[in-house]
Amino acid sequence: MAALPARPRVHAASPDPLVLPLLQAAGAGRDLWNGGREPPGAQCVREAVGEQRQGRLSTAGSPLLQALGAPALPGPSAMFLLLPFDSLVANLLGISLTVLFTLLLVFIIVPAVFGVSFGIRRLYMKTLLKIFQWATLRIERGAKEKNHPVYKPYANGIIAKEPMSLEEEIKEIRRSGSSKALDAPEFELSDIFYFCRKGIETIMDDEVTKRFSAEELESWNLLSRTNYNFQYISLRLTVLWGLGVLIRYCFLLPLRIALAFTGVSLLVIGTSVVGLLPNGRCKEFLSKHVHLMCYRICVRALTAIITYHDRENRPRNGGICVANHTSPIDVIILASDGYYAMVGQIHGGLMGVIQRAVVKACPHVWFERSEVKDRHLVAKRLTEHVQDKSKLPILIFPEGTCINNTSVMMFKKGSFEIGATVYPVAIKYDPQFGDAFWNSSKYGMVTYLLRMMTSWAIVCSVWYLPPMTRQPDEDAVQFANRVKSAIARQGGLVDLLWDGGLKREKVKDAFKEEQQKLYSKMISGNHEDRSRS
Amino acid sequence: MGSSHSMSEEIQELAEKTGFTSEQIEHLHRRFKQLSGDQPTIRKEHFDNIPDLEFNPIRSKIVHAFFDKRNLRQESDGLADEINFEDFLTIMSYFRPIEMNMDEERLDHFRKEKLKFLFHMYDSDHDGKITLQEYRNVVEELLSGNPHLEKESARSIADGAMMEAASICVGQMEPDQVYEGITFEDFLKMWQGIDIETKMHVRFLNMETIAQCH
Repeated sequence: MAALPARPRVHAASPDPLVLPLLQAAGAGRDLWNGGREPPGAQCVREAVGEQRQGRLSTAGSPLLQALGAPALPGPSAMFLLLPFDSLVANLLGISLTVLFTLLLVFIIVPAVFGVSFGIRRLYMKTLLKIFQWATLRIERGAKEKNHPVYKPYANGIIAKEPMSLEEEIKEIRRSGSSKALDAPEFELSDIFYFCRKGIETIMDDEVTKRFSAEELESWNLLSRTNYNFQYISLRLTVLWGLGVLIRYCFLLPLRIALAFTGVSLLVIGTSVVGLLPNGRCKEFLSKHVHLMCYRICVRALTAIITYHDRENRPRNGGICVANHTSPIDVIILASDGYYAMVGQIHGGLMGVIQRAVVKACPHVWFERSEVKDRHLVAKRLTEHVQDKSKLPILIFPEGTCINNTSVMMFKKGSFEIGATVYPVAIKYDPQFGDAFWNSSKYGMVTYLLRMMTSWAIVCSVWYLPPMTRQPDEDAVQFANRVKSAIARQGGLVDLLWDGGLKREKVKDAFKEEQQKLYSKMISGNHEDRSRS
Repeated sequence: MGSSHSMSEEIQELAEKTGFTSEQIEHLHRRFKQLSGDQPTIRKEHFDNIPDLEFNPIRSKIVHAFFDKRNLRQESDGLADEINFEDFLTIMSYFRPIEMNMDEERLDHFRKEKLKFLFHMYDSDHDGKITLQEYRNVVEELLSGNPHLEKESARSIADGAMMEAASICVGQMEPDQVYEGITFEDFLKMWQGIDIETKMHVRFLNMETIAQCH
């Protein structure tokens, strides 16, 4: 141990030798620097290194004190500068990675495991909303200054549609057209007006194709993918947008991918391990918690901020949970709050691996591709599952395809024929933070997931509606429509009779003929009356 | 922004030609792009993507009307293969509502244009006359799809209506006089004094914009 010299005249705080390069860079070491002479720090670094090599560690600062008292040695100051710069970069990298992983662990994974929330995501959401409001105001103001038109999107269409039915309209046309008696209507040239106009109206704007493209926003959420009308307005806004891109792609995206990876691998490993246990209460308990934990991690991987309403209506064993479908994320959202048995087709690839692992721990209902076509087989297996009261509630999306979350389309009647209690659930996403709709004709699964992970957040509300059963006087289709209306009403979505399958196929001929039958009934019925008389 | 300036000039031109306002043109342009799948022209197949249109019994006649060169105000005759946005707007302009401040002459011209559109729909062989066969075609199409209605009844309905049209246009006919077909003048005569054009328009919802483009 080097002997402590007499207390030298120091007119600055004596820093740790490792920190000294940083301080020097910040200019704090200016006081210690004597022009031309080697800075005292250099020698103290060397000395500290030398002390360590000899196996003796001096107290922090004593080599410095020594150095201050020692005569200055001329030396290559340039070499000195290079050495700590490398370690500077390495230090920064190391520090940031450590910070990232600590954040990951402490704030995200541990709460997910235990099912608690710190409220960080809600704070994040509030901050974002304020920024979006500012951005929209700025755009509107900028547009006014430059005289650019800024159009608000119209969810209700651009045409005023007559609310009259076919019969009334044709009567009106005929009334205005002819002076003949109205009690003997027959076909007239003017009837064509009605159909012509209706045709042109639907060409201009129709209810169905609107539902299959993403919902348009009224304010801009700093994502260029939702930027339809907004052009370059101001430097500040562009800088803000650029900052947003940086944050989303360089900070949020790696964090989310790490979380997703953790969640999925934990799910596969956890369920495989639990599957090895013998059947019993212990296995069920563990399985439930492994599932819930992993889904919660996945929820955080998407930064999904979910509000659950009416949780007392959550589905129970032996029931079927029915929800409207907007994206594959719906499954994660519902499954992170309840323990369900999934129904679906076995896929290949990563999805298949997850499916096969998960079914070891808990009896999900997976169908082979060939079995899916056989409706009776599907119905039989589902009925068996539902009748066993010890089995979990089934999660089904009866629309059959992803809709853009502004409406609810026709529910396929298969799941309503089984005869179990139906627990409807309404899911409504807030598109301001990130549009969750999966347009499967436009984006593949991987692209879609990347888009989700580079949005600000996924914000949604989930309502658990009270359970419904089929009444004795209604058939499966009526029951399905009743459930659908309830879901649409709760979620504030438009209730449509159209089939979601229209996204890919054409209208069934049965529907086409309906209107034609109605019209021709009007004419031929009266015509027959006339010919009889 | 250079591109937006020239676009607004284009919009002005289109507005003058077709009579739509610039907001309506922008909305229709979005609809056009949606129908055509972001391509510059529309073909007949693109209309297949509209499910509501399947309901309509005279669907093929309506789609046909879009490609009919007579409606597109081109000098030639026959059918076009594809139409661009200007043609799309031209067809849509037949369904513009009547404005309050139109004078008599313009009103008359407007009405004639609308009725001419309808006439072209009936007259499928472009010979300027609606013959009995063409009339029958339209009636059959309108009544098609109803299995309870026999072809004979459809035919007799068409015949009866044609007789009436003849009586309006030509008056009392000699027994051996043949009524060739309804010409456009006869067609106009049939609708004289009747406000059909109020039923042949599509009204746009009132669209507010924040700033106007001049």
